[in-house]
Amino acid sequence: MATALPTLAIPGQRLGSIASYAAGPGTHVQNATIYASIAGPVVVDQAQPSSKAKLILSVSRTGPKKAAAPAPSTKASAKPATTGKPKLRYNTLPAVDSVVLARVTRVQKRQATVSILVVLDESASSQPLNPAQTTSDNDNIEAILSSAANPENHSNSDELRFQALIRKEDVRAVEKDRVVMDEMFRVGDIVRGTVISLGDQSFYYLTTARNDLGVVMARSESGNMMFPVSWKEMRDPVTGVAELRKVARPF
Amino acid sequence: MTDRRRINGPPSGTRPAVFASSLKSASSISTGRPRRQRQPDELRKIFLKTGLIPSASGSAYLEFEPSASLAAARSNPQSLIPPSSALKLACTVHGPKPLPRSASFSPNVVLTTHVKYAPFAARQRKGHIRDASERDLGVHLETALRGVIVAERWPKSGLDITITILEAEDDRWWGDAPDSHDAPWGMMNVLAGCITAASAAIADARIDCLDLVAGGVAAIVSDESAEGETSTPKLMLDTDPAEHKSILSACVVAYMPSRDEITELWLKGDHSKASLGTTDQSLNHESLIDGAVNAARGAHTVLAEAVKESAERFAGLSTGANTV
Repeated sequence: MATALPTLAIPGQRLGSIASYAAGPGTHVQNATIYASIAGPVVVDQAQPSSKAKLILSVSRTGPKKAAAPAPSTKASAKPATTGKPKLRYNTLPAVDSVVLARVTRVQKRQATVSILVVLDESASSQPLNPAQTTSDNDNIEAILSSAANPENHSNSDELRFQALIRKEDVRAVEKDRVVMDEMFRVGDIVRGTVISLGDQSFYYLTTARNDLGVVMARSESGNMMFPVSWKEMRDPVTGVAELRKVARPF
Repeated sequence: MTDRRRINGPPSGTRPAVFASSLKSASSISTGRPRRQRQPDELRKIFLKTGLIPSASGSAYLEFEPSASLAAARSNPQSLIPPSSALKLACTVHGPKPLPRSASFSPNVVLTTHVKYAPFAARQRKGHIRDASERDLGVHLETALRGVIVAERWPKSGLDITITILEAEDDRWWGDAPDSHDAPWGMMNVLAGCITAASAAIADARIDCLDLVAGGVAAIVSDESAEGETSTPKLMLDTDPAEHKSILSACVVAYMPSRDEITELWLKGDHSKASLGTTDQSLNHESLIDGAVNAARGAHTVLAEAVKESAERFAGLSTGANTV
C-alpha cells in the first residue's frame, strides 16, 4: 500500500502498482501499474481468505455493494413498484460459464431460441483474475423479469438483446435422446441457463442441463403464472391444469 | 425528376441579404470582423455534461463558450447576421448490443461512428443525408476512439456512437469571400469537440477505455492588424476561424494525457512560407502539434470533471435504487 486509493476513479487514472495489487474488473495494466478503465467507485477485494493472495483492485460498475437480489420467481406482482426505477443498463456481456436469464422466443424440434435478458453475477467471484469477467446490475433483475414476463412487453426489442440457442441435447443431463422440445419450453417462458459457448456470429449457446437450471417463470395456456410441482411439471393455480416444462430447482 | 407543380427554392443554399440600412456605416462590414480577445494560449470555456439522454447507455452534451463578439452582438444587435458561431453538439452511445444477423463473428467490439450536422447547424444548410465532410468526420472520430477503447473486452457486440452537431463553427468570417487558401477550418474544431464529447459519453456508458481521450486544436494564423496589413504569423490555441483573416495551417489531435499518446492527428494547410519568412523556430510542425496537445490537455481537465460527475451520479443512483 504505497499511496491512498481514490474512492472514485476515472478512466486512465493510476490506481496502484501490480506489486501490491492484482488487477480486477474495470482496470487494465500498463507498465506494471494498474489503471482504471471505467469511471466508478474503487473496490478492494480479498480473493481468498489466505493471506498470500494479493488484494484485488477493481472499479465497480454498480456502485457500492448491496444485499443480494431477492429470488425472482417469488416476485411476479412487483410490477407497479418498478415503474419509477432508474434506467436499466444491459451493460454486461454474456461470457462462457456465466448464468443468464433469458426469454424463450421460438421453440423448434431440435432447438429453442431465447433472448438473453440479464447476465447474473455468479462467475465473477470464481474467476477473479480475469478482468473480462464483468459484474452485472443485480438490483434491476426484478424489474427486468417482471416486465419481461408480462405478455404486453413482448415487443420487438429482441433485436436489441443477445440471442441464444438451447439445443435439444443441452436441455437436460439424463435421457438426452428422449427430449421433446415442446415439453421442455414454451414461448414466453423465462429460463435460467449457463453459457457454454460464444457460438457463431448470431447466437450464444446455452445449456440447462443442471438441476438449478431450467424454466423459472411460465404462464399456462390460460395465461396464469404457474408454480413448479416437480422437475418436469408446473401447475396453474386457477384451473389446476398441469403443463410439462424443464423446471429449475426453485431455491 | 423535377417538381413542376410547386415553386421550389434554389437548389443550392442562399445567404440572407444584408441591407445597407442595417449597417452603421459602409466601412463597418470590413471592420466588423470579430477580434480574438483571448491570449494566444487561452482556450474558450467548455460546457460538458453527461447522461442527458436516458434511452442511450451513455450520452454527453458539449458547448463552447461563445466568443466575446457574439455575446456582444446578442445583447446589442447591429445586424441580423450573427458575427460568429460557437460549437454545440450532442453525443449518444448505444451498446454494447448484438451485431446484426448479417455481420460475421467478431472477437472485438465493432465500432461505428456517425457524425451529422443538424440542417440548421451551419450557415450553409445541410441536407438530411450525410455528405462527404460528415462521413469524413465520422472516419476521423472512429480512428481517434479505436485506439482508446479496450475492444477485446466486448466480443460479438457492436457500439454505435452518434453525434449530432447543433451549431457548427464557421469555416471563415461570413463577410469574407471564399478564396484560394480557404479550407474547412471549422471542421477541425468540430472534430476536436466530437472527440471530447464522445470520450465523455463512452465513459458514461461504462465501456472500458485506456484513458479519457481529449481533442485539441492549434493553428498558425497571420492576422491583419488594425491598419489592415498582415502581421507575422503566430501560433494560437483553440482558434475560432471567424476571428482570423487567414489561417495558414491548423492541427487537431486526439490525445491521452495519462499515457502521453496521440490516437489521431490531422494537419491541414501550408505553413512553410510562415517559417521561411521569419527566424522564429516555433512555427514548425512540432510546435503546431505541441500546441494542439496543450489544447487537448486543457479540454481533458473539463472532461475529467464531467466524467467524475457522471461516476458520482451513478454511484449515488445505485444506492438510492437499493433503498427503495
